Amino acid sequence: MRWFWIDRFTEFVRGEHAVAVKCVSLSEDFLHDHFPGVGVFPNSLVVEGMAQTGGLLAGQYYDFKERVVLAKVSKAQFYCSAEPGQTLVYRAVLDQIDPTGAITTCTAHVQDRLQCEAQIFFAHIDRDTAHRPLFTPHEFATTVRSLRIFEVGRTPEGEPLTTPDHFVEAERAAMAAVGA
Amino acid sequence: MPTQEEIFEKVQAALCDALAVDEEEVTPDATLVGDLGAESIDFLDIVFKLEKSFDIKIPRGELFPEDILTDGEFVEDGKINEKGLAKLRERMPFANLDAIEENPNVQDFANNLTVQDMCNYVATKVA
Amino acid sequence: MRFLLIDRIVDYQAGESIRAIKSLSLAEDYLQDHFPLFPVMPGVLMLESMTQTCAWYMRMAEEFAYSMVTLDEARNVKYANFVEPGQSLIVEAVLQKQEGRLYTFKAQGLVDDKVSVSARLRLTCYNRAELDGDYFAPLDAYCKQEMLQIFNLIYPPAARNQAATNGQAAGGQLLR
Repeated sequence: MRWFWIDRFTEFVRGEHAVAVKCVSLSEDFLHDHFPGVGVFPNSLVVEGMAQTGGLLAGQYYDFKERVVLAKVSKAQFYCSAEPGQTLVYRAVLDQIDPTGAITTCTAHVQDRLQCEAQIFFAHIDRDTAHRPLFTPHEFATTVRSLRIFEVGRTPEGEPLTTPDHFVEAERAAMAAVGA
Repeated sequence: MPTQEEIFEKVQAALCDALAVDEEEVTPDATLVGDLGAESIDFLDIVFKLEKSFDIKIPRGELFPEDILTDGEFVEDGKINEKGLAKLRERMPFANLDAIEENPNVQDFANNLTVQDMCNYVATKVA
Repeated sequence: MRFLLIDRIVDYQAGESIRAIKSLSLAEDYLQDHFPLFPVMPGVLMLESMTQTCAWYMRMAEEFAYSMVTLDEARNVKYANFVEPGQSLIVEAVLQKQEGRLYTFKAQGLVDDKVSVSARLRLTCYNRAELDGDYFAPLDAYCKQEMLQIFNLIYPPAARNQAATNGQAAGGQLLR
């Protein structure tokens, strides 16, 4: 099981909102334990999908220089289950953001039906005390790019998002290393 | 302008939501930390919900004065000094701070903030 | 990877509470993404451990009558500390109330006696056939059988019988 709970972004407006999708498939092995014979997408992973949508929206606000982690889920209510063959659509709205963290209001829909609504709080891990990086720069840049953030991403004024310098450097170095 | 009762009901609702406690537990004398189990991340949540519920702005530190309580100028050896007490009175005119004179421990201050203190604060903001 | 976020049930008090253990191993493949340079248990899997602990309580309480046990509402899920490979998360859940098939628990996960995660969880249980018709009845039956097999692994009959001997209510009567 890899830790990607959104497949791609379809909308991304800096500092405002983002929409991402997650396809549910029987080839995902955990569905055969949850539950055997009657696969339903676990609601904890719906929370993760919303958190990844909101967390990357929050992270992009400071050009992915802050490390964003889940701090609190205030209230997550679930109304139905997502099943194999269906697509979950996550929407995160950035209610508040500052250097200490962010607050988002998130929803999940499946086949246009409200599946979940939640309020999710993120914290920026303190740069002074947390000396362990989470990713290598190239790994993180690759993940963010593969989710199409820079392809669909826009500023509130409608301009395309710029790729942060530290991502550009990491990707350039990696491409040079393979003679690209 | 909302009545005292309306303010209490909305504050109660915000606390029930933020702290996942039942209405019966949120009495005016209940302390946020001691009785209702609030932690620092919860204060953020509470402030956010109050802002939305009352359409007010709560500047950081105005309701929960973390900056004063962690400043060496106002707190020595875990105890709020006279300067600190004066600063708190200035920042929090809505709260009953007499208890600090008897017990200046920073930890206990945080623990003594009550639901009624919060209602008093909101009343000053919506006036 | 199996979606089993509980390795062992260690205590069950009917009508009251349940305690279980989740040990984190570096071999769990999602850790390579979370995070490559700082592997820690994702917060939502800590939530899932608490959810599964509560779900096992409900399966025992309802005597495995239902195939599906799902999270209906999660409130005030707070994270205090990370769980790292080599550590164990001890999950404790105390029943707060039960309204029909809706069970509400206060749950927390501890590492080395320190609270790492806490939440108020409400779960519900049902058979898929109740929602979507008799077509699903054989699948519900298959599910219940499989879940019982898993149950016997994580709360072995010997442990349940020992608990019964110790005067605690156990799921011993569920042995089939």
